Amino acid sequence: MDAKLVNPFVDAFTTVLPQMGFPQPQRTNVSVRDGHAVGLGVSVIVGFTKQLRGNVVYNMTEDTAKYIASTMMMGMPVPEFDAMAQSAISEMSNMLTANAATNLAGMGLEVDISTPSLSIGQGFQVKISDGKYLTVEMDIGGHAVEIDIAVEQN
Amino acid sequence: MEKVKVMIVDDSKISRTMLKGSLAKTNFEVVAMAKNAAEAVKFYQEFSPAVVTMDMNLPDADGIECSQRIHDIDPEAKIVMISAMKDASLVARGRDAGISAFLQKPVNTNDLIDTLMILCQNRAGKVAVLRESYAKPFQRALQQGLFSLVGVHSEISLELEDRRFLDVSGIAVIIGLTGYPVGRAIVFMSNETMKKFCMIMLDKDSLDDVTDEEASDSVEEAANIIVGRGVSNINDVFKDKEIRITPPGTICGTDIRIASPKLTTFRITAKTRIGDINMNIGFAEGE
Repeated sequence: MDAKLVNPFVDAFTTVLPQMGFPQPQRTNVSVRDGHAVGLGVSVIVGFTKQLRGNVVYNMTEDTAKYIASTMMMGMPVPEFDAMAQSAISEMSNMLTANAATNLAGMGLEVDISTPSLSIGQGFQVKISDGKYLTVEMDIGGHAVEIDIAVEQN
Repeated sequence: MEKVKVMIVDDSKISRTMLKGSLAKTNFEVVAMAKNAAEAVKFYQEFSPAVVTMDMNLPDADGIECSQRIHDIDPEAKIVMISAMKDASLVARGRDAGISAFLQKPVNTNDLIDTLMILCQNRAGKVAVLRESYAKPFQRALQQGLFSLVGVHSEISLELEDRRFLDVSGIAVIIGLTGYPVGRAIVFMSNETMKKFCMIMLDKDSLDDVTDEEASDSVEEAANIIVGRGVSNINDVFKDKEIRITPPGTICGTDIRIASPKLTTFRITAKTRIGDINMNIGFAEGE
């Protein structure tokens, strides 16, 4: 796991979200893990391939997902994590990963990303790699988002 | 879903055969082949094709005049000119005769299919194309893959998915598709089916010998092989637009909902003696 391949994903998170009206995200923890991650409620997985292959997961509680959806929709109340809120989270994940792909292209690494898949449930396991992966915990205005990144260079 | 009907107008038997061959594995069905303008007009009325490919040189008229005659019958006719020569004056005269697109011989299969798809673009047409050209290859891959990996026969069905999410209790292997069209495939099944699948795949004597990790790893590997095979089936037809697959992401648990906003999705179900093995294949719309 090469940290320089992970930074573009974290940079995307910290630069894109403030442009969408979020407070500046803070990195609260970084750890190397193996095995599976545990879904916090809402987990979006986006795969990528070409010069790098891997997956990124944006993992959060449903409350955080509703906060993000609401902020993206100009503060519109989001009482339920409904279709529109799901669409907003999915769109955010797509934007963040596309932005990370642009950052990687700037390093000379071409990456194509898939469409996001959003899983909702309690306590499910998410496996994104046979080996180690990196978990970065971010805080946005008191709401935690865990980013799990597995990446390997072709 | 109905196939999109195509009429080929060309005086050369070789050209007609080549064009028909290019469309053979797609959602387009050649319903008529005319070798001159008179036949073209007659067949157009008889078969009402959704789109016409038109050669420039015909024995009894040129392709522009022939297109004009078809347009006189049906002002909505969609005609693609396919000629050896393509210049500004031909394109200008062709547009006046109601020709919508121009391709040069020899025609690249992708260009032809793209052009026909764009001309026939409406929701029904797009879904039909996705189903026939992109979802069906996965259906084939699932059936063949299950047989070659675990030797089970399956009764297989393919339907447009009208629900916004999948309900999963057991395992779901998510594999992204990049290139054209972008999307994702999800292979999912119950815990019980997963364990039986693993038992056969790893040649174990009893279900008790199967660990949870082996079970999910087996299904993940099988999904990777099956989706890879589906993508190869597509890439065999559309040679320059390579679809690639991302590494699998695997979700295990109970009462999980997986949503994929904004995708057109198809549900493929393989009914087998070890239970239902499902695949949901989704493509981004409007790509």
